Amino acid sequence: MIGVSLLTLDNPFFKVIGNNIVREGSMSGYDVTVLSADKDVAKQSNQVKDFIVKRVAAIVLSPCESKSIVPVIQEANRAGIPVFTVDIPCNEPGVKIVAQIATDNEGGGKMAARAMIEALGKGGGKVAILHFPQAESCRLRVKGFTEAVAQHNTQNPGGQLRVAAVLDGGGAKDMGYRAAEDALQAHPDIRGIFAINDPSALGARAALEKAGKASQVVIVGFDGQPEGKQAIKEGKIYADPIQFPEKMGVEIVRAIVKRSKGEPVPPQTLIPTSLYKREDAMADPDLR
Amino acid sequence: MPRLHRAAAAFLSDYGMLFVLLLLCVVFSVVTNAEQRPTGAAAADQLAKQIRREFGARPSVLIVARDQAEDLAFADRLSQALAGAADLLVVKGEPVDARQALGRFAAGGDPLDVIACTEVTGSWALFSDLGAAFPALAKARVLQPHPYRWPNFLKTENLLNIANQISVIAIVAVGMTMVIITGGIDLSVGSLIALAAVIAAALIRDAAGGVQASPAGMALASLAAVLACGGVGLFSGLMITLFSVPPFIVTLGMMMVASGVAYILAGGQSVYQVPDSFVWLGRGADLGGLPNAVVLMLLLYAGAHLLMSGTRLGRYIYAVGDNLRAARLSGVRVNMVRLFVYVWSGLLAGLGGVVMASQLKSGSPTYGAMYELYTIAAVVVGGTSLSGGKGKMFGTMIGAFTIAVIQNGMNLLNVEPFMQKVVLGLVILGAVLLDRLRNRAVE
Repeated sequence: MIGVSLLTLDNPFFKVIGNNIVREGSMSGYDVTVLSADKDVAKQSNQVKDFIVKRVAAIVLSPCESKSIVPVIQEANRAGIPVFTVDIPCNEPGVKIVAQIATDNEGGGKMAARAMIEALGKGGGKVAILHFPQAESCRLRVKGFTEAVAQHNTQNPGGQLRVAAVLDGGGAKDMGYRAAEDALQAHPDIRGIFAINDPSALGARAALEKAGKASQVVIVGFDGQPEGKQAIKEGKIYADPIQFPEKMGVEIVRAIVKRSKGEPVPPQTLIPTSLYKREDAMADPDLR
Repeated sequence: MPRLHRAAAAFLSDYGMLFVLLLLCVVFSVVTNAEQRPTGAAAADQLAKQIRREFGARPSVLIVARDQAEDLAFADRLSQALAGAADLLVVKGEPVDARQALGRFAAGGDPLDVIACTEVTGSWALFSDLGAAFPALAKARVLQPHPYRWPNFLKTENLLNIANQISVIAIVAVGMTMVIITGGIDLSVGSLIALAAVIAAALIRDAAGGVQASPAGMALASLAAVLACGGVGLFSGLMITLFSVPPFIVTLGMMMVASGVAYILAGGQSVYQVPDSFVWLGRGADLGGLPNAVVLMLLLYAGAHLLMSGTRLGRYIYAVGDNLRAARLSGVRVNMVRLFVYVWSGLLAGLGGVVMASQLKSGSPTYGAMYELYTIAAVVVGGTSLSGGKGKMFGTMIGAFTIAVIQNGMNLLNVEPFMQKVVLGLVILGAVLLDRLRNRAVE
């Protein structure tokens, strides 16, 4: 049996990861239990302890908090149960993680920057970033974005992009809405917003619509959740570097099977994003 | 005889939830009944017998164990038992190591008759298609300990886990029970858990020497955290008694204040620079295998039970909740009593926070979210009336365990997470309803 405890199942991204671990796992002969930690590290610890009692063959986590989860991972290590992480890493000293599977967030951030540059055209202009600095994955996205912007600026001194504001959009619609409103107050001439996920991008869109600036400001999101894809189809979001949670689920099970066969497992697998634009949305069979 | 009947009825109405809890335990024991395999030395004895019986003189045996206590015990015992009777090779480690050993056998052309595995190593995918990976070893037989049936729920480890998992909520619920018996409510306890965890961890980091902190330093830091929460409780109590602000509003405000302060103190991050020995309270087990947090919980319940049933203060607490005016008119200093319960609730929430910080070896402002609601649920499931005046300490403990058993049982049964919330909510409602119906029957 494989025990899986994911950050939260409220977010469809994790739901897809969980479902794919279940599907791929059953093909390899594993029962899979997927639990939601509801972003509560104490709850996640209890779930891991339950997995240890159940003597699962492997534990898959997306840690709620990489520091506080250390003791139970060590407990699993002592019990000889291999631990894998998906999406969110745990790189703390003293814990043994067999493999980490995640999106190439930094590469995705660069992809988002290129989309933004393309959308703003020759003139460049001011952009705002809606961040979620608590999450390592989002820090990497913003790092990739700002690096690619800086590189563009040195190559094209004429059409520079300037990151005018980096605000905490909370990774959620309501927080993203407020942060985008504040950014518009401080910088009325903003031309682009990069949001680190779809919910905050949609929050920003709502703020732009309210301010009557929806047609003047370009939004680039991240994730490719159904609601985000729909918004891209309707032209509300310019583009998303999309993640492939289904691939993550599959890769996790492959890593578990490989390890169990005694084959070498790479400690980290990064799954590249791909840019999803309006043309892709028009051709997407999942969107009616 | 009628007296006996009345006594039984009274017991039922006080501790009827105990039967619900026992019923749940029985149900979970039946449905989690599963195949178990012996581990460690017992597994080794079993396999040694089988190998001696089924394989002729000096079979060649590969013992595969993980590098982990119970598997190592298995490997050592089996090597001893077969010494002289078989050609032995022992692999201790991961599937990779076993694969290498098999590769050496296959390459060297040495015969291999038996691969002796523990429950876990025997289920490695490496052995399921052994013939495909190593045609030369296709004749080797993989042996695993034989299964027997026993409920996952009833394993000692699992029962101790349940007790340990609920200890924080159960400790906080001691204070909550008293508050609710006075007719009040304390919504700040969840945030106080976070506040205490952060204060204790931050003091250890900044004042007691971080990872080199001494036990005394850690104890003082924890004490300071508990007292700080007691201070918050005192403040709430004063607002409630001096200015007659409803407890719901006061403690709702303090819930936000305490949570905010915890975030400020921790800088939004978790504080983890504490010594390894800090986990003693939350994860140690000094008394006959009973976790220390559980011992602490039991002591608190015993103490609180004595306080509520055997002292004047206990009687006043009931009296205040039963009828505030009547209590005041009969000379009870009601404000002192109410002040006491909020301070006590704050102190215990702080203690719960220290236990949680110890369990997780760090303090984070995210701890304790929703715990006020679980705590209130434990108190109410335990038979305490939200309108005050009625309730039993051990009832609350049973309520807390009921919640823990349901959560644990559903995890063991792989109930889908969203469904777990629905079930837990319904069971809480059902338990309370059952209690009401029984009370009516008793009356």
